[in-house]
Amino acid sequence: MLTSPQQVRDDTEEGGARRAMARYALVKLGGTLLSIGLVIVATFFLFRLIPGDPTIAYTRDVPVTPEQLALLRRQMGLDRPLGAQFLDFVVRTLRLDLGTSYEYRRPVAELIGERVGPTLLLVGTGLAVAVGLGMWQGTRAAWHHGGRFDRLSTGTALTLWSVPTFWLGLLLLMVLAAGVGPIPGLFPTRGMEDVDAPGGPLYLLHVAHHLVLPCLTLVAVVYAQYLLVMRSSLLEEIGQDYVTTARAKGLRDDDVRRRHAVPNALLPTVTLVFMQIGFVVGGAVSVEFVYSWPGLGLLFVEAIRGPDYAVMQGTFMLVCVAVIVMNTLADVVYHVLDPRVRSA
Amino acid sequence: MAGTRRRAALTRFRRRYARQRAGLYGAAILLVVVLAALLTPLLTDPSGMDVTKATGARMAPPSMDFPLGTDESGRSVLLMLLWGARVSLLIGFMSALLSMVIGTVFGIAAGHFRGWVAAVLMRVTDWFLVLPALVLAMVLAAILGGGPSTIIVAIGVTSWASTARLIRAQTLAVEARPYIERSRALGAGHWHVMTRHVLPNVAPLVLANTTLMVASAIVTESTLAFLGAGSGQVSWGTMLRGSYDWGAATSGAWWYVLPPGLCIIAVVLAFTLCGRALETVLNPRLGGAS
Amino acid sequence: MVRTGKRLAALSLALSMATLLVAHASPSAAKASQTSQGTAVRSPQTEKRIVRLGATQSMDSMNPFLAVRVVSTSIHRWMYGFLTVPDSKTLKPGPDLAESWQTSPDKLTWTFTMRAGATWSDGRPVTAQDAAWTFNKIMTDDGAKTANGPAVENFDTVTASDDRTLVIKTKKPQASMLELPIPIMPKHVWESVPDIGTYENETYPAVGSGPYIAVEHKKNGYVRLKANPSYWRGAPGIDELHVIFYENPEAAIAGLKKGDIDWIGRLQGPQFEALAGDPNITQWNTQGRRAAYLQFNPGAATAGGEPIGDGHPALKDVRVRQAIHHAIDKKTLVEQAQNGLAVPADGSIVPPMYQEFFWKAEGDKAVTFDLAEANRILDEAGYAKGADGVRTMPDGKRRLEMRFSIHTDEPVEDKIAQFLTGWLKDIGIQLTTRRLDSNKFTEETGSTALYDIAISGWSVNPDPEEILATHLCSRRPTASGQGGGTESFFCDKEFEKLYQAQLAELDRPARVALIKQMQERLYTEAPVVAIYYPNNLEGYRKDRIASITPIPEDKGILYGGSSYWPVYSLRAVERAAAPAGSGSGSGTVVAVAVAVVVVLGAGGLLLMRRRRASADDRE
Repeated sequence: MLTSPQQVRDDTEEGGARRAMARYALVKLGGTLLSIGLVIVATFFLFRLIPGDPTIAYTRDVPVTPEQLALLRRQMGLDRPLGAQFLDFVVRTLRLDLGTSYEYRRPVAELIGERVGPTLLLVGTGLAVAVGLGMWQGTRAAWHHGGRFDRLSTGTALTLWSVPTFWLGLLLLMVLAAGVGPIPGLFPTRGMEDVDAPGGPLYLLHVAHHLVLPCLTLVAVVYAQYLLVMRSSLLEEIGQDYVTTARAKGLRDDDVRRRHAVPNALLPTVTLVFMQIGFVVGGAVSVEFVYSWPGLGLLFVEAIRGPDYAVMQGTFMLVCVAVIVMNTLADVVYHVLDPRVRSA
Repeated sequence: MAGTRRRAALTRFRRRYARQRAGLYGAAILLVVVLAALLTPLLTDPSGMDVTKATGARMAPPSMDFPLGTDESGRSVLLMLLWGARVSLLIGFMSALLSMVIGTVFGIAAGHFRGWVAAVLMRVTDWFLVLPALVLAMVLAAILGGGPSTIIVAIGVTSWASTARLIRAQTLAVEARPYIERSRALGAGHWHVMTRHVLPNVAPLVLANTTLMVASAIVTESTLAFLGAGSGQVSWGTMLRGSYDWGAATSGAWWYVLPPGLCIIAVVLAFTLCGRALETVLNPRLGGAS
Repeated sequence: MVRTGKRLAALSLALSMATLLVAHASPSAAKASQTSQGTAVRSPQTEKRIVRLGATQSMDSMNPFLAVRVVSTSIHRWMYGFLTVPDSKTLKPGPDLAESWQTSPDKLTWTFTMRAGATWSDGRPVTAQDAAWTFNKIMTDDGAKTANGPAVENFDTVTASDDRTLVIKTKKPQASMLELPIPIMPKHVWESVPDIGTYENETYPAVGSGPYIAVEHKKNGYVRLKANPSYWRGAPGIDELHVIFYENPEAAIAGLKKGDIDWIGRLQGPQFEALAGDPNITQWNTQGRRAAYLQFNPGAATAGGEPIGDGHPALKDVRVRQAIHHAIDKKTLVEQAQNGLAVPADGSIVPPMYQEFFWKAEGDKAVTFDLAEANRILDEAGYAKGADGVRTMPDGKRRLEMRFSIHTDEPVEDKIAQFLTGWLKDIGIQLTTRRLDSNKFTEETGSTALYDIAISGWSVNPDPEEILATHLCSRRPTASGQGGGTESFFCDKEFEKLYQAQLAELDRPARVALIKQMQERLYTEAPVVAIYYPNNLEGYRKDRIASITPIPEDKGILYGGSSYWPVYSLRAVERAAAPAGSGSGSGTVVAVAVAVVVVLGAGGLLLMRRRRASADDRE
């Protein structure tokens, strides 16, 4: 979704800044915990909606006697009332016990642990590049508002934003990894590393080489929103009196932009970066699948195909909680940084 | 009297929209696509979509009979694009509509009421706002099983939060106006204020937002189809999935891989351009100084 | 500040591009530096002989007690010895870790003599104790039953009377004793594992007795296997075998064409066709061991005879099932759903690959694609067509509207559904497709019977006894709804009689005749209708793989069969350390990359210049 940068600003009362800050932090913390609680509740009930008996799913391909099945039901707590099951689920989730995968016969938490790194690498790099690219182009587009660069960059960004991520990924894979006609396959066709990955610092380059296409795909599809927000918030700043004044004072155009307009326009964009992490994570799911990138998104797609409900449930919760925590952090950072909000 | 005013407003709107060049292009594309989708049943024979009645060779390149070649069963890709447009647009519109209804109800209620009702509504909205919509939609689609209605629900339920936020802000602004105060003093109830005063005022914004929503819904539909949660009907998304499943890219059948993707881009871009133009026209502050 | 930052960014971008290139352009340099860090010193003349196999799934577990995916069981077959292995020519059981065997007259006691001189890769001898420990573990530990529990269900006791003698006593005679799918595990290594059900077996090098030793597993990335120098048949002819996991089959094909992998098995038709015309690739197309069929709900009941499920009543009528059989154009399905790379099924569920057991309907018995005949059968049986062309039951109460259950995310099944819907419409049956995830599918078609017509398919072992047993009355679910493994809810006295007769028949030709009669019974009663037998499709690079022997040797499978013969027979193309081909390849890479860097750099410079110029203009 393309959203406008308007963001909640929780009002704090007048009074000691520190007291206000503490109160603010407390409110935020409470809100976050509530959101996480909501995720846990929603997960429990969502996955109870699945028709069919989970024990049958669990014992697929394995012959079991009715007694074993009853035992399993008892072990999985399915013979207890819903309330007790829910309580049990909450307690286990808080202890990071996310159940066992049917496919891998291993604890879900462990599987997720293995996959977090690659996803962080992909999403982190992609986000950094996308935000950098978006902000740079957004700034330039706004400053030369209506000019050729503005039209070209905004047009390109909007077009790329309209492209289905997986499709772009497949095309890039076919052209730049497999090679078409005279274009040689410059990049690997799969994964994060090959069997003969070099050691030491060269390993980083090896991984970087594998990262190029997945990252490019992700960036192409998500950077538009940063560009647009940066552009529109800078346009707003440009319309403000102080910019006009600064320009009238004879300050160099560049300085006005760098010292005054951009820092002020930055905040909504930064906020958006965190608010839209969910969107980027969604994009990462397709990208990881197309490029066999061994991250959480791939685990999730595999789980849906399995279906491996325990893994689906665990990945879903983890991604939601991570996104919620990131948003809270963003809010707090925003609060600390923005003098207007702090002094309110 | 009111009629004249409305007509004047409409003329003003039309004149302002006409100044949005990108918006005009977008509207033109949409007009063509929607017309094509509506006329398809009148102009073409649906039996061409039945694999047992297909006449072409398998994955044949473009020719006079099949301007965009054929798919893996010898059906015309062009014909599939036309029929697929109906499903893609339908899913896009319906899920945007669903999302709009939920978003508007939540937004107006959260802006109108005070205290804990507003707090709870906003908490839920914020929750949906940050959640990874695609991931949630995939879970929903997996749990609810296949079919177009499932996909519509999965997309609609996961994408309304930003609308709700926008509508809430607008509602707060509208309710601060003096005439609402007056109307309250005259004994207007919650329902009256919300439906008679707030809703008409936020409606234009809802329209702009819904247009943007259709765009993302169409992309989401194609992504869901690709990742295995298809609607089971021929849409642009399921066509892309089909081209992937039947190895069109590796065997060089560009006529099967590119057109559905380009159609998605064109239509999504068109919706986005229209939505942005509408936003600018209806709410100049939002679109910046452009 | 900002400008320097930008310049820095540009510089670092250019730098990283350049370094990427270096890394890509000189893999041998990178590798050389790696080996020089390590201890191994390689002769400079020849490269390591490596074959890289692509797989479109990843390992579910390295623990053979748990692993069920094809890729995992295949790799385990290369890592560990079994009691017996199918003969490379005839597929009949031959000696592996067991040199010879005897059975008691009552067929209940099997005595295996273990191979002398076979060792584990850590040097210890392979003994009967290891085999006894492995079987007993599965029999006694529920956690170890996941992969191969059913295979030992009928075992009474397993003992090692000495280091070379293994005695297995079964409760009932078991024909499949020489095809046990169970790898023999090293007791001295595994005995100390506290909980087999959660053990990952991720210690490398893994101790095994097969032709290859696993030395590395990057989860969701690859498994690296080294030749086992102490393998009792002698070390294989290559140094390393890498199994590389792809999630995306299209990417795997691209990887094979480009040379990222050398070999890939179990291809789908479209991917196989995409390999055509590539001068470096051998397309491998042989008869497969799979049968694809439809299963009808013939009025499902539990093992006790209690009706269950909601199958359409018309399907209880064998004439309706046969009419539907007439409405399936198997040739078209082969053409359309399998790209012509399958054999239309004129028989039942045993594919023609198993010539000995394969049965084929001939002459009048053969059911041909004939919509008119199908309509005639249904008309005659009293299923009258309504105004909209849909038939109703003879009593006029229920229309012939049926569900067709398939799996989600299976394009081939989707295609079959599209065709079936079209043909059944022509004979007055309205079909709607239900897509179910595999859990729900197994549940609804195997135990709760909530289906009318469903897709099905099975990989058949050299001895078809097990596949035929899936149509026995006793395989139907229990009253509590637990599935017994039925593939059809079929229950037929004649079929049961034949099954019992073949169990007791010790004369092979006579048993073969009985098994053929069972297939004929399935064909005429039609609880299942075979559609086609998909071919086994693979591809490998001629410029990397010099030779590979399929199983069976004349025209068989390379990857995914139940033996190590193909990978054991692998020979790589010998290559010099710095092949000329790769040199020119990286030359292009360097050229292109340099061009990219130059363009980027020039563009960046230009941009900066212009910006500065415009900024100056404005002042």
